[in-house]
Amino acid sequence: MAAASETKYTVTSTWEIRIDKEADIVEVRQRVRELAKEHRFDQFAVAALTTAASELSRNVWVHAKKGTARIDVLQSGRKVGIGLEFADHGPGIADLTLALAGGYSTAKSLGLGLSGTRRLVDEFEIETEVGRGTKIVIRKWKKDY
Amino acid sequence: MQDGRGTNQIRNGSEPVRQCYTPLPEFYYDYNSSTTGGAVMHGYQPDYMEILKLDEDERKKRLAFYELTDEDFKRLASLRPFADRWTHEITEGLYELLMGQPESRAFFPDEATLARVKRMQNSYFLGLFSGNYDINYVRDRLRVGAAHERIGMPPKLYLGAYRRYLALIHMRLLDHFKGNESEASNALSSIRKIIFFDMALAIDTYIAAYLETVTRHQAAIRELSTPVIKVHDRILLLPIVGTVDTARAHQIMETVLLQVVEQQAKVMILDIAGVPVVDTKVADHILKTTAAVQLLGSQTILTGISASVARTVVQLGVEITRMHTRSKLSEGIELALSIVGKKITSKSVRGGGEEF
Amino acid sequence: MAGGPIPILKIGPTLLATIQIDLHDTVVDAFQNDVLEEIERTSAKGLIIDISALETVDSYVARTLANTGKMAKLMGTNTVIVGMRPAVAATLVRMGYFMEGIDTALSLEEGLELQKIRTTVPDTE
Repeated sequence: MAAASETKYTVTSTWEIRIDKEADIVEVRQRVRELAKEHRFDQFAVAALTTAASELSRNVWVHAKKGTARIDVLQSGRKVGIGLEFADHGPGIADLTLALAGGYSTAKSLGLGLSGTRRLVDEFEIETEVGRGTKIVIRKWKKDY
Repeated sequence: MQDGRGTNQIRNGSEPVRQCYTPLPEFYYDYNSSTTGGAVMHGYQPDYMEILKLDEDERKKRLAFYELTDEDFKRLASLRPFADRWTHEITEGLYELLMGQPESRAFFPDEATLARVKRMQNSYFLGLFSGNYDINYVRDRLRVGAAHERIGMPPKLYLGAYRRYLALIHMRLLDHFKGNESEASNALSSIRKIIFFDMALAIDTYIAAYLETVTRHQAAIRELSTPVIKVHDRILLLPIVGTVDTARAHQIMETVLLQVVEQQAKVMILDIAGVPVVDTKVADHILKTTAAVQLLGSQTILTGISASVARTVVQLGVEITRMHTRSKLSEGIELALSIVGKKITSKSVRGGGEEF
Repeated sequence: MAGGPIPILKIGPTLLATIQIDLHDTVVDAFQNDVLEEIERTSAKGLIIDISALETVDSYVARTLANTGKMAKLMGTNTVIVGMRPAVAATLVRMGYFMEGIDTALSLEEGLELQKIRTTVPDTE
């Protein structure tokens, strides 16, 4: 049981939601909110997760028009967390550094999309390739106390 | 008498209630409401199944690690007659040790207690040979461990008792199998496995209990470290004392926002005289909190700004010039009062009447 | 009164819009439309947007609301957003979004008071 740089965990339950219409953004958001509340995240954490989910699913809708959101409930020892994965085969992000720096502006997004979302969660991973698509994974752990 | 019903449902994919009342088990054993002379806490008891995440999955993993197989289960069940025959003697033998040492004797102050625990010990012993070690068995063993932890029996005594138990069992097994070494040895092997399994659960409860205490203390510390004070109608004050790391800064912002809304405060005074180091990170946290308070529709006044903090902040280029700031708390309070349309005046030297 | 799912009432010279539903993008856009049309129709001097029921305000909603305020201002109407929840404020600020240029108030009462101040005193900002 080696200690790795990321938290080792198991997935105790998972939901997948296809994103191919605008209403799906709300569906993802609501599912995340329900799960976060069910697992007793505090209101600030619920808001952070729900907002992050909303931002990232909107990105999928706006830029790729089609993709998936996967919501996992995670367990690591005593800790409970929620992980979200958003994947699409959209245009990909050309300048990732710029996008994460917070100055990247596109059609409907605020321009603080990714960097802002990143500040709401504990773990943030992104894979993107121009012309192939984007995959973003975020995780937030429930505070212990 | 406790009669609460609190079923622990460890469903896959859901987080059961973190703290729930654990009822006494009616199945298997003849426990009554006290595990030992009156030292039972009626009412709240932490749910160790939940804290230790002891679900079906975990139970199976543990059985596997202790190499408890169906063969063991059958063998243990077949030893039930042995158990019935020898339980009293073995219990006596155990309590001979416990009563013989002053440290352990202290836990059994009178005859009634002793009689009661010996009865329960018999039940416990018989339970080892039930042949069925499902989730209820686990729950029950956790309760036993919890009970010992609650009365304050240290692990060294608890484990020492288990050792004695095994020795006594071994002795009786040799008798029981009348010299058939291999049979006795097999039996002992299965018994040892289940005893170690039980011991692990017992020690886990000790650990879980300590973790609970630590968690409670942490919560208390958190509460104490963010004391929001109502200075006047719609004016709140939070003196921040000590270092502010990211976790604390988050917690401060959240407490401040919740209080502002709950108290419908028009002004929030943040006094930072007690913060030893104000660097860009801390300044950033303060700025964010102020911005959030503003979003709610209230104002923040930052007080307790020393000369060195003022110097640092401006040199770092941090933009806090748009905030209300004062060097002294008293000035901040006066400003807050004027914002809500009040002021402090002196009582007149002659004449009556109160002025405030 | 506009046709969208968000009711817009008139209280004297002020329009009051209460948002109580989970917001789809199209709903937010329609809301902005409806509000501006109502302002035009009624020549309201003030607009209050009550978001006390909103649990989630993401950057799109935040920006649309802020823009609505700016658009209303161009039409001579002052906007106050009231009832923001603590978790919403914290999230916006943590994301880096400070919602500049728009008035906020703790409650409807406070909002109406603020409106009175803003609409009786000429623009000084």
